[in-house]
Amino acid sequence: MPSGGLLLQSVVLGLLLGGLYALLAAGLTLYFGIMRVVMIAHSAFLILAAYVAWWFNVRTGLDPLLSLAGTVPLFFVTGVAMQRLLLARLRPATLTMMSVLLTFAIALFIEGMLGYLFTGTQRRIQLAYSASSLDLFGARIAVVKLIAFGLAGAALLGLYLLLKHSRFGWALRATIQHRDAARLAGIDTDRVAGYGFGLGLATAAIGGTALALDATVYPSLHWHWIGPLMAIIVVGGLGSIPGAAIAAMVLGMAQSLLQIPLGTTWAQTVFYLALFATLALRPQGFFGGRLAQRF
Amino acid sequence: MHATARVKLGIAASAVAVALAVTGCTGDGGSEKPASDPIVIGISLPLTGDFAEPGKGVQRGYEAWAKIVNDQGGLLGRKIELKILDDQSNADRVVADYEQLIGRDKVDLVFGPFSTRLVVPAGRVAEEYGMLFVEPAGAAAQVFEQGFKNLFYAAPAVAGDHYNHLAKHILALPADRRPKTAAYAAMDDPFAQGTAYGLKAKLEAGGITTVVNEVYPPNTTDFGGIAAKIAASKADIVVGGSQYQDGVNLIVALQQLNYQPKLAAFSTAPTNPEFAKAIGNKTEGILAPTGYTNKAKYPSNLEFVEKYKAQFGTEPEEDEANAYTTGQVVAAAVKAVGCAEQGECQKKLVDWLRTNKVETVVGPLSWDAQGRPQGAHMIQQWAGGDIQIVLPEDVKEAGFIYPKPAW
Repeated sequence: MPSGGLLLQSVVLGLLLGGLYALLAAGLTLYFGIMRVVMIAHSAFLILAAYVAWWFNVRTGLDPLLSLAGTVPLFFVTGVAMQRLLLARLRPATLTMMSVLLTFAIALFIEGMLGYLFTGTQRRIQLAYSASSLDLFGARIAVVKLIAFGLAGAALLGLYLLLKHSRFGWALRATIQHRDAARLAGIDTDRVAGYGFGLGLATAAIGGTALALDATVYPSLHWHWIGPLMAIIVVGGLGSIPGAAIAAMVLGMAQSLLQIPLGTTWAQTVFYLALFATLALRPQGFFGGRLAQRF
Repeated sequence: MHATARVKLGIAASAVAVALAVTGCTGDGGSEKPASDPIVIGISLPLTGDFAEPGKGVQRGYEAWAKIVNDQGGLLGRKIELKILDDQSNADRVVADYEQLIGRDKVDLVFGPFSTRLVVPAGRVAEEYGMLFVEPAGAAAQVFEQGFKNLFYAAPAVAGDHYNHLAKHILALPADRRPKTAAYAAMDDPFAQGTAYGLKAKLEAGGITTVVNEVYPPNTTDFGGIAAKIAASKADIVVGGSQYQDGVNLIVALQQLNYQPKLAAFSTAPTNPEFAKAIGNKTEGILAPTGYTNKAKYPSNLEFVEKYKAQFGTEPEEDEANAYTTGQVVAAAVKAVGCAEQGECQKKLVDWLRTNKVETVVGPLSWDAQGRPQGAHMIQQWAGGDIQIVLPEDVKEAGFIYPKPAW
């Protein structure tokens, strides 16, 4: 039986990890909601942002968080361009399937470029505060993990406020709910979809920077991330952002706690077990999910 | 004496040359090829992927060896030419690479790649073609359990024996000071696990309880969970069966949890020149086994360190030295037997190494029938921002610090 201290520590680590999963899964589910696009390259952009943060820190010696000022707008523009120039041209009838192939190619391209520019060597940002931690009732919270969690939380909150309380958010949600009806109501759905895609990619920029603070990055690392993220958005109900966030927290926590009895290798399987169970028992997902059911 | 170091070095270098020439007398058949025909040596190395960092170190070691030999007129009067392919740390690629090097490119000799996971498949190809296979970095037990007849490991000890000096020292401590519990975390990799489990077996036999025993996949980047288990166990000592980056990540994760063991030993990572910077200089008391130090007084090592510095501008580390040793071992056999080509010659090289001792930069090496070198590793410890040999007693540069200061 694990000690209380270890359980508390694992819960804390699970929460911190879950926060990062939640932000990344939110972006991924947004793409699907807007366009029924399966965006395999999401985690490749995540690693790209992590590399930019690392490179920025190496070249300037400044805090990697400052690189966000560049990557967030850049990723937003890239996302809009990707949607307008590439994905919008796919035939609607085969959109979901073809988008897998297209974004798979983009992921490979990013991985190859990173390997070419920075080699396959693993990189880690060296920060003065990388080993610092705070005490919470006996559990330790690493400062870098807390910053990453804070970033993820702030970005998610921003996304929520944007979608709930801005005209653009309403237009985006209308586009997600019923594209034709939205267009009849006078919404320029093409433009809104482009911005939505840019928003999704901007979450990858924030997530990648958060990831780079406390993890080693290497070009092929994105394959390690896309599986769990896909599982999270299916469990959460495709297209549902709150669903993705809740599923991310639950599964991140489960992974962290399962490491105690099972070890690192087997704890990873929780994502896939959850995926199989969801597809078998409740294919529309556990939260939200009205959209996936119709799809 | 010190003023004449350069002269001494020259004498030492010639002494080695003479020694090699003398041992060479036994099999000198005078079958040397014309000097214009180079000896081509085929090598596949992980220059990208998981093992890119040490893989490049091995490449530098091989290049230093080729340059030093060529500057002295080559081997058997023939120049050395290295043909190095990148296997991307991938076991399928490494097999294809050696198939190509031996079968299609018809190289005269092969040297091994880096790390057990690649050495075993590569060794199998070399075995099929009957090639001598001296390798710089396949130290795990399973390398020597494949029934290979042509394989030799060019380093002082196999993985399981790396910590022998440390195990002996810990178990010799008085009962009230001896640690009682130990935590182990090892990468799912035969070499990394081999080092940690070699120590684990000896400490368990000596009555030290194992309280955590974790294995993680090679691509793990989040060590929070493993560190939490180790910290919660409050184990007296922590042992990491690590390569490089995983060792760094694990140590940082342990420090984030403010875990302060009495002893911390990690394989490979702490001897890397980037290590101290990578963990923010919180290195106090960390131990690591090492098969090589550039301060060793072996004659060929003095030559190696000086010429390596002239070529690359830095001092050689363990990966470079093991690669260089591989070159020395093969060169000794080639000189002794007097041939370097595919076919009959390879068998003669193998037979010669099986029964002879070779002087190298890591000391004299000899092997058992499966290619295991017959020695143990030195133990180094970080103290005051510097890493120094603390065990065994007869070669130590500093005293062993136990319990370790806080990191």
